Amino acid sequence: MDYKGLAEQLVSKCLKKGADAAEVYIENGRNLSIEVRKGEVETVEEAASYGAGFRVFVKGKMAFASSNDLGQKALEDAIGRAIEFAKITTPDPNNVLPDDKGMSEIGGLYDSQIVKIPMEQKIQLAKKLEQLAMKDPRITKSDGARYGEGEGEVVIANSNGLAKSYQSSACSLGVSVVAEKGDQKSSGGEFCGARSYIDLKPAEQVAEKAARDAYEMLDPRPVKTQKASVIFHADVGYALLGGILGAVNGERVLQGASFLGQKLGQKIGSELVTLIDDGTLDKGVASEPFDGEGVSTQKRIIVDKGVLKGFMYNTIVAKRAGVRSTGNASRGGFTSLPGIGPHQFYMVAGQAKPEEIIKATKIGLLVKEVTGYGINPVNGNFSGGASGFWIEDGKIAFPAKGLTIAGTADEMLNGIEMVADDLDLSRARTTPTFRIKLLQIGGE
Amino acid sequence: MIMKHRSYFVEDIPRRKFLELSLKGGVALAATPSLLRGLLAGQAPSKPQLALEDLNRVIRHALSKGGEFGEVYVEHRISRSILLEEGKFKSAVFGISQGAGVRVISGDKTGYAYTDEITQEKLIRAAEVASFVARGAKAVKPVDIKAEDRPSYITVKVPLQTVADEKRLEIMKRAHDAALAYDSRIKMASIDYYDEVRGRSIANSEGLYLVDELPLIFFIVQTLGVGNNTSHMGRERLSRHSGVEIFDELKPEDAARNCARESIVMLEAKDAPAGKMDVVMQNGWGGVLVHEAVGHPLEGDNIARQTGVFVGKLGKKVASEKFTMVDDGTLPCFRGTTDYDDEGTQMKRNVLIQDGVLVKFMTDVLSAKQLNMERTGNGRRESFRNIPIVRMTNTFIDRGKDKPAEILSSTKSGIYVQSLSGGSVNPTTGVFNFTCREAYLIEDGKKTTPVKGATLIGNCLDVILGIDAVGDDLDFGPGICGKGQAAEVAAGQPTVRIRGINVGGSRAR
Repeated sequence: MDYKGLAEQLVSKCLKKGADAAEVYIENGRNLSIEVRKGEVETVEEAASYGAGFRVFVKGKMAFASSNDLGQKALEDAIGRAIEFAKITTPDPNNVLPDDKGMSEIGGLYDSQIVKIPMEQKIQLAKKLEQLAMKDPRITKSDGARYGEGEGEVVIANSNGLAKSYQSSACSLGVSVVAEKGDQKSSGGEFCGARSYIDLKPAEQVAEKAARDAYEMLDPRPVKTQKASVIFHADVGYALLGGILGAVNGERVLQGASFLGQKLGQKIGSELVTLIDDGTLDKGVASEPFDGEGVSTQKRIIVDKGVLKGFMYNTIVAKRAGVRSTGNASRGGFTSLPGIGPHQFYMVAGQAKPEEIIKATKIGLLVKEVTGYGINPVNGNFSGGASGFWIEDGKIAFPAKGLTIAGTADEMLNGIEMVADDLDLSRARTTPTFRIKLLQIGGE
Repeated sequence: MIMKHRSYFVEDIPRRKFLELSLKGGVALAATPSLLRGLLAGQAPSKPQLALEDLNRVIRHALSKGGEFGEVYVEHRISRSILLEEGKFKSAVFGISQGAGVRVISGDKTGYAYTDEITQEKLIRAAEVASFVARGAKAVKPVDIKAEDRPSYITVKVPLQTVADEKRLEIMKRAHDAALAYDSRIKMASIDYYDEVRGRSIANSEGLYLVDELPLIFFIVQTLGVGNNTSHMGRERLSRHSGVEIFDELKPEDAARNCARESIVMLEAKDAPAGKMDVVMQNGWGGVLVHEAVGHPLEGDNIARQTGVFVGKLGKKVASEKFTMVDDGTLPCFRGTTDYDDEGTQMKRNVLIQDGVLVKFMTDVLSAKQLNMERTGNGRRESFRNIPIVRMTNTFIDRGKDKPAEILSSTKSGIYVQSLSGGSVNPTTGVFNFTCREAYLIEDGKKTTPVKGATLIGNCLDVILGIDAVGDDLDFGPGICGKGQAAEVAAGQPTVRIRGINVGGSRAR
């Protein structure tokens, strides 16, 4: 079906029914997920679905309606509902749509071969992954191995003459296992995602990582409450990024609800901290040629050697701030309005080897798991649960669980004094391993 | 999307909103279309009605290759969401969605497929796909479905469908104005109003056929307090399965003032101490701690998988004798209440831990069969796009005999937690974490200085053994539970004291 043609027709229909400006967003796609456990298929889920969302503007007032019935009558009904709903909102001169006709060129977002691979082969891959993860005798139970895939098309058209679409696909592979020793239980898991089936990490690598994460945390020992160096392993460094993302959200900045709101152009972290938002990486797991309202995506430096360089905007918030959209309109699907969100958001890799960082640490915690909400984007406070390894004299001494770490974004970002070279760009939010000079650790 | 670890979370506002606020990083493929993530929240138009014989035909087809349980679930949903922020009604979002899912269970295997189009042809196609897992298995002969009536725990006085939008705006405006009027340091108020009507039809090979319609209201107030050198975003929620009459009893102004009060109080917050200490948790939403720490590990799916922390502990003493924990889906109009779960099992009051002894696990159809236990009415799903899984409803620590004031005055030092944001648990190890929303130091049996949002962490088994005082002031709060799918829940507790929880403060004691 020609969804782009349909979207353009529907934009005209919105205008005919009384909208001054309108945008139509259509998604269609299919997905498959397979879960195996103990060598048997446990669930198979498969479906194809689609839907359309209508954003309309009437005399500067904005409203939205969505429908997953693409029949003529249902679509007309949804448009009518949106226009009707626009009567109740407040007019705002910033309520505008983009007119960006361009698109960022990104290779490898769609792999048409995924669907051609037989289901049996995908089931076998998940079974093999589970088997490999159970190979180590310390691993006693499987919590299942999973394979998932999806592909879809996004279409956006608006009354400024913008009309564009792209296709993308994704595959993922993951496994969770349990290691037991006496009364102790320890869980480990690993997953990987990629745009193509053939770009998934080898099952051996995924399995080995999941098993190791489980068994290496057996026999933990207590740690006393103290201040010490904290190394964030590359697996958990993303825990620092969420709060920063909340704080560079252009709308939160305008509202005064960001701890970084007044810091543009200022130093907010050590020289080793460079943060990038990239929507354009070939085959990137968070890449897209245009954002959730059709603006071309970019690769932007958000923090450059510790200096805050920019915030993130969609079209409406950018107009309000008097700047241009940064291509960061994010969309939760055809059922919602565009918000503001990142693409691939990461900390640039450093020079050190991860083992060198451990070696250079006299006393400290190597964090392998962080729980909690991360940095509070409003005031920059941080407190989280943590587990990992205790380091003494440059060596891993023993596993440690049930700890807390806490501080402020200021302490954490300015305290980053070593950054490793192990950045894994197969994740949407990611950092290399890094060390923070001193943080409060809560324990016994 | 596949997550690195199985981790279940609960929070007091919707995940979507939560992600917008970008409080936490994720490992999902962030920028793929939502269809790829399978995260489409259900949204739909005119109510689709299928003839009983059509449904019978689909169920027969679903079991044609084998299998012992076949089911068709049809859903339609109409939702409204309005945002009032910074004095403006910024947006109004209307959602219409419909769809149906067909499920086949064969042994431990589940096959599932869904369709947005509710036609006989599409449902037969879904049945074909779902039957894949049952190839070659022994088949049961489905029983023809028959409509039945069930008691209802949800009453509606003013149906959402009859309410003019102006009424919704008025309720929002009352909250907004009350929040800003509370204190000049409240610089912004954000009011999220959401309501929906979800219609369900459930038919299965056991002959069950049920049709109902559930209203739901979720009202979230957030206020930004700005002090000399810090800011705090406060939050308060109201939610029920009810008509708009909820606001006659739960006043929007009260919710707004309480939210503003939190924003102002927390401007004075000092660094929390770090390390193990006693924690007194005020009655209400604090019950999420046991929802996470104890509730999730009591869900039958991880017991059937033999991975959960409570495996092998049925009938044994697991908690202090003051501790009784209940999951009750029949509390009138509560956020976690339905007349029956999404598999058609009657809701009931399930006592899970009685006076410290583990007496019951929560189940859905599949785990009840695997464990050879009763169906407890905990099979729930986010929408027709999801397989039902074991979920909690309204989960709480039952009321005790201690007096709340005495619990506090008999605690020499520690942390008084007035409210929590949310948290998560690893159901295998039982390790949980929670973030305090509003908390105070306890000094000499008194609530004193407010402290910054510290994390509380611990192991579920230690925590329920460490609860040594349970008050008589049971209360509840509404929230959202995430376990791959979102579910509406309520969590509750009386004031309780927990000995020796690790508090993630930023200073030494």
